[in-house]
This record gives sequence, structure tokens and C-alpha cells, in this order.
Amino acid sequence: MNDLGTRFYNAFIAKERYMLYLEGLGLTISISITAGIIGIILGVILALMRLSEPKKGRKRTILCTISTAYSDVIRGTPSVLQLLIMWFVIFSSSKNGFLVAALSFGINSGAYVSEIIRAGILAVDKGQMEAGLSLGLTKAQTMKQIILPQAVKNVLPPIGNEFITLIKETAIVGYVSLSDLTRVANQVSSRTYDAFMPLIGAAIVYFVIIKILTLLLGKLERNLRKSDNR
Amino acid sequence: MITVKDLYKSFDDLKVLNGISTQIDAGEKISIIGPSGSGKSTFLRCLNLLDEPDSGEIWFEDQLITDPKTDVNKVREQMGMVFQNFNLFANKTVLENITLAPVLLKLKSKEEAYENALKLLGRVGLASKADSYPSSLSGGQKQRIAIVRSLAMNPKVMLFDEPTSALDPEMVGEVLDVIKELAHEGMTMVIVTHEMGFAREVSTRVLFIDEGIIMEENKPEELFSSPKTKRLQDFLSKVL
Repeated sequence: MNDLGTRFYNAFIAKERYMLYLEGLGLTISISITAGIIGIILGVILALMRLSEPKKGRKRTILCTISTAYSDVIRGTPSVLQLLIMWFVIFSSSKNGFLVAALSFGINSGAYVSEIIRAGILAVDKGQMEAGLSLGLTKAQTMKQIILPQAVKNVLPPIGNEFITLIKETAIVGYVSLSDLTRVANQVSSRTYDAFMPLIGAAIVYFVIIKILTLLLGKLERNLRKSDNR
Repeated sequence: MITVKDLYKSFDDLKVLNGISTQIDAGEKISIIGPSGSGKSTFLRCLNLLDEPDSGEIWFEDQLITDPKTDVNKVREQMGMVFQNFNLFANKTVLENITLAPVLLKLKSKEEAYENALKLLGRVGLASKADSYPSSLSGGQKQRIAIVRSLAMNPKVMLFDEPTSALDPEMVGEVLDVIKELAHEGMTMVIVTHEMGFAREVSTRVLFIDEGIIMEENKPEELFSSPKTKRLQDFLSKVL
């Protein structure tokens, strides 16, 4: 195994390959962040649609039906397929792979985030809403001032998890010829005929990023809980 | 002040209110007693439309509030409600709990609301808790603050939904004292309660609700000393 150094050199240093990894990593992160933001915005909207209250005599609102159908379709199909459909069918004339991928992952993530946010809102004691209403506040005012701030604390850990899943899921963007960290590692391994170094190297990078993220989320969560005094 | 005509309410197949009619005048202190599941809390919650009645009319000062065209929020501003489980806003400090609604609904400026809140807190002996969060308070303290929160809206009537049922026994007194004081000041109030001694002492009229109707109503001395219906006799023999 004395050629380990050479293999490492070939995989990461030769021909400034580390630049490829860095660019790949940059793409992975920027797609994840863009998609994450889209996912959270969509998720909040979908969750509020889902929780909208029907008029007397109706079982559910149209908004609720739309939101449920959205979640069903997105969660019932593979995300690779969603990405391919977005790239080759819906936006087949687009050349901006980054935007299409970010949108695709965002739409996918929105479905999961909406479930998390819905559960987070429902987990807030329903007496809180009643107290707000009994004081003459509207539902929207109580939602904004009382329910959503409390729901944020409930949803932070699962949203963090969802974001971590999202980062790893972006590893499929190679399907639409975007060079993210995973694809770069794969390309280098086929060029150097050595799979071990690039693939393990990429895996370690993913692991480290997610570990750091987990630690930051834990810290943020503890800060948010301070007002609880428990 | 409040007139209720023929109120019906059911939850799915369960009929909870089966035709309740009564009138509540300004200055009255009404206690509502009855076995659990009799519909007394639902009746109270219908008065400010937290539960929507299926049929029947509720009038509040010449306004038909069961009319869908009524602005329910405006009506609720004038009716304070105190809950069994306090329901203080968990993400707000005591002072924010009390000032949120008056400021948001533009009834008072921020300064006025704060001043008023501190004055009211002083009256219930909790001025030192103004900046605490609800989770750090005892049940009795929470309930006294919940009462103050309602009072900060200057309501015309106060509705109490079993205000002492979730309290440890040693804290019941401090909350009842606050309610008694309010009663002496002439506040109109409707109280659902299991505290018979309190109902007897404070109320001007007691309603006994069972099976979703008012089975018997009377002045407290008479209702407790000479109950007429068999139901009320049975009930009183169990709780007294």
C-alpha cells in the first residue's frame, strides 16, 4: 500500500483536481440552499392551505384538496423521476440546469416540509387559538402572533432533518448533467481508474458538512427553547 | 344584557344542548352547575361563539350575535373569557400577554396598555411577574393573570369556564378571591363551576344544567336548600 500517496495525489491534487471538487461542492451547497428556501416557502403555504377551515356544511376547502393532492403526487413519485421530468419535459427548452434542479428539489421538499409544518401547528395547544379569539383577535392575528412562533420551535428539528435529506438527495443532479460533488467524484474515478479515493473522499466531505449542520441546529434549538424555562 | 333563545348544539351524533333559553341582566352573577358532560361548558362557549350553536338565537345588547353577518371579533372584545387551563400565550411574557390584544386591536396605545396592565397586575399581587414567561408561574398565578388579561379589554361581561378545576387545592382560594372581588365591583359574570360553596356565596342566580337543558334555576339559597327536581337533589347529594 505504499502507493497510497500516489493514489491520493492522482485523485485530488494532480491537474488541480481539487478545484473540480470545490466547484462540485459549491454546486451541491447552492442547489441545496436554493431548494431549501423554495421548499420552506412552499411548505408554509401548503400547510396553511391544508389547515384552512371549510365553510359550514362542507367537509374541506378547495385549497385543502389542492394541497393534499400536491403532497400525494410529490411523495408518491421518485425524486429522480421528478428531476428528469422537469428537465426533459416541463423545462425542456431551458438551458439553466441549476435553476431547474433547484426548483425541482424545492417542489419536492415543499411537500415534506408542509407535512412537518402542519404537524407543528397542530401540536400547539388549541387553547392558545381559543384564548386569542376570546380576546377579539382574528384567526390570522392569533396565527401570526401566537401559533406560528410556537410552531417554529416544534418544527425546527424535523426541518433540519429535511434539509439534511435534501443535501444528500441533490447527489442525483448528475442525471441532468450538472457537476455536483458526487458527479465530480465519479468522473475523477473513471478518469484515474481508481474509485476508492474520490468516492470515499466525497463521502467524507458530505459527512463533515452534515455533522457541522447538525451541531449548529442543535445550538439554535437550545437558544429558542430558552424562553420555555423548562 | 344577554338573551338566549332555544339554543341547540350537537357534536356529530352527540346532542349537547337541547333547547336552552335564559336571560342574563347587567350586574348579575350567574353560576352554572351540573354533572360533567351535561353541556354547561358548551353553553358558556356558545355565548362568545367559540362553539357555534346549530340553531337558536343569542342576543348581546340588542345585537343578534348568532347572525352570520355579525362581526364576531367585535363581540368577543366585549366579553372576557377565562379558561380551565389558563391558556396564557406561551411565547409571550406576562406583560405581553395582557397588552397584546388591546394594542393590536388599537384600543389603547402601547404606553396606556402597559400602564393599565401593571396597575391590574398590582391589584392581583403579581406586579413582580410582569416580565416572566407563563411556564415559570404556578397555576394560581397563571389563572390570576388570565383574569387580568381579560379585564385589560374592559369587557362588559366575564365568562369563567371552570376557572379553578385545574388548580392544586391550595391555590383555589387565591383565584376565587379575585373573582369575588370582581363580583363585588359589579361585574356581570357567568361562571361554570364545581365549587358549590363559591356559587352559593357569590351568585345572584344559579342554573342547574343537565342533559343539555336548564333543569332548574333559582336564587342560590333556595336552589341549594330546597331543590325541586329529583335530578338536582341527586346531584347535590353527591357533591355537597
